[in-house]
Amino acid sequence: METDWAVKNLQVIRTLMERGAVYRRALAPVMGAVGLTGMVAGVLAAALKVRTAEAFAGFWIAVALLCLLEAFWLIRHQALKDSEAFWSPPTRRVIQAVSPPFFAGFAAGLIFLSIAPGGSLAIWLLVPGWMVLYGCALHAAGFFMPRGFKLFGWAFIGAGCFLGAGLCLGGPPSAAGVNWAMGALFGGSHLAYGVYLYFTEKDGNAA
Amino acid sequence: MNPKPFFQLDRVIHEKGRLPIMSLLAATPEMSFTELREALKMTDGNLSMHIKTLQEAGFVSVTKSFLKQRPLTTCSLTPGGRRAFANYIDLLEQIVRQARDVK
Repeated sequence: METDWAVKNLQVIRTLMERGAVYRRALAPVMGAVGLTGMVAGVLAAALKVRTAEAFAGFWIAVALLCLLEAFWLIRHQALKDSEAFWSPPTRRVIQAVSPPFFAGFAAGLIFLSIAPGGSLAIWLLVPGWMVLYGCALHAAGFFMPRGFKLFGWAFIGAGCFLGAGLCLGGPPSAAGVNWAMGALFGGSHLAYGVYLYFTEKDGNAA
Repeated sequence: MNPKPFFQLDRVIHEKGRLPIMSLLAATPEMSFTELREALKMTDGNLSMHIKTLQEAGFVSVTKSFLKQRPLTTCSLTPGGRRAFANYIDLLEQIVRQARDVK
């Protein structure tokens, strides 16, 4: 009795079950918008000379909240356009996955806001800390998203560790450059990833 | 080789169009009609027909609601559907195991 069909059916089931559990909203516009916002914020913060710890933490927490709002709006817009529920099971899973590191990053920012440590090292150290936490959030979300997302998370974790080690070993540069670094590392990377997704994401990605 | 598992396969699930629907729904608590149509690249008519068959077999429940004044059809597996799907996979695995033992 031929049983290839049984193996094939099991493979089809596995592939579809994996696909069914994955979050599939088009991420290119989200990444592009967040990236642009990050870069503009970096330029703005540098122009406004946001250099004290509390101003730096407050400014970038506000930018992060703005980016979250943008992402929320864009994803909701996609869901409505496709006549689908925004708060779908994959959306819930992704939000649950990113919440702990996001909360930790927000708490770290609030601590900086309240204790306002002096010196450029203190300000600079927040950057790799946020990068590692953000990378952890992306990596956790990557379990329910297309494969490249986990890699993007690892890139943030790696770059954050590298930057942190560089700051500890080589000492911090002047606080003037920290906003440019935030703009380039968060904004630039998202914009680049958004452009990459724009050209590689398949059509009909609705979730 | 014992052909018994093959004859026990649920014929409603064991169909080219319905097995993918069951597989997708088994991975998530619910899925909209649009999501299923996009994921499976089926036509509206074809998908509706298969869902109706699965619904009549008691494997799938369909909920119709409105989202921002647009109709939203959501499908999910019933407890009976989940059991039948798990049973279907068990039987497929038995068939594959038997074939390997024979070889």
